[in-house]
Amino acid sequence: MPEPRLISSYLAVLAAQLPASIVEELADGLTETHRSYLRQGLAPDLAARSAVAEFGEPQVIVAGFARVNPARRAARRLLGIGPAVGACWIAVLLTSRSWAVPLPARVLAGATLAAVIALLATSALGRRYRLAARTGAAGFLGIIALDASLIASVALAGVPLTWVLAVAMAASAARIGYAARSLRPALAG
Amino acid sequence: MRAEELKGHLDAMLLAALEGGPQHGYAVIEALRQSTGGRLDLPTGTIYPALRRLEQAGLITGSWSVVAGRRRREYRLTPAGDRALSGGRADWQDFSAMVTAALEGRPCPSPA
Repeated sequence: MPEPRLISSYLAVLAAQLPASIVEELADGLTETHRSYLRQGLAPDLAARSAVAEFGEPQVIVAGFARVNPARRAARRLLGIGPAVGACWIAVLLTSRSWAVPLPARVLAGATLAAVIALLATSALGRRYRLAARTGAAGFLGIIALDASLIASVALAGVPLTWVLAVAMAASAARIGYAARSLRPALAG
Repeated sequence: MRAEELKGHLDAMLLAALEGGPQHGYAVIEALRQSTGGRLDLPTGTIYPALRRLEQAGLITGSWSVVAGRRRREYRLTPAGDRALSGGRADWQDFSAMVTAALEGRPCPSPA
């Protein structure tokens, strides 16, 4: 049985804003709803109108999925733990005399950090599913690059291992792991 | 019943709909309609994000199958979901007893 045009249009609106896997699930539910109305004896067009009305406004559904977007949740967590990880590295910088970071590298790190924070904030506050997923994915990559650079920098500089440095490296390693795990669902969006 | 009246209770209702075994989204909605005598007035589409939220919380787990050429996502309760459902039922009974007592002007029974 061909899908009524009204249902195709409704799904197209959702498909423009949500990942394919979510739209597939919604399409299955909408088709079942439509068939249920057909079984009750409604004409195909009226059954389609009833099914779409029962499903609700597409923007309400999109907003509902945006709230449960895993990228958005991960971005919020990363923004939440960011100050603590940053404080660990500032402590390393202040206590270690052998870790001399050249000015251009500091400027580059600062600019990257600002960009990452902006990307994560856009994802964390985003009501558009795809935008939140894409900015989140870019932010997660930025976090991975920043933390990997910090660890590589102290290793190359031969900074003596102190408990402050150990805590900072462990925090960065944990953050790299979390950002990497969050990448896949974000890229799927 | 409107969506705002369900706040805080929808999760337990969704878990209860899955207590009998795995269900796909539309079947969950139908189960809720039947169990509430058709009084549940929620846009059907809003149930799906709620199911994803429960899945992210580890209370249900979803898996894909193919039915009549369409991909279908089915959900089932996890052990954590089972415990959350028991907790939700107990919370509701306490809440319901408290509100009933307040509305009818009689002493509230002690929680079980």
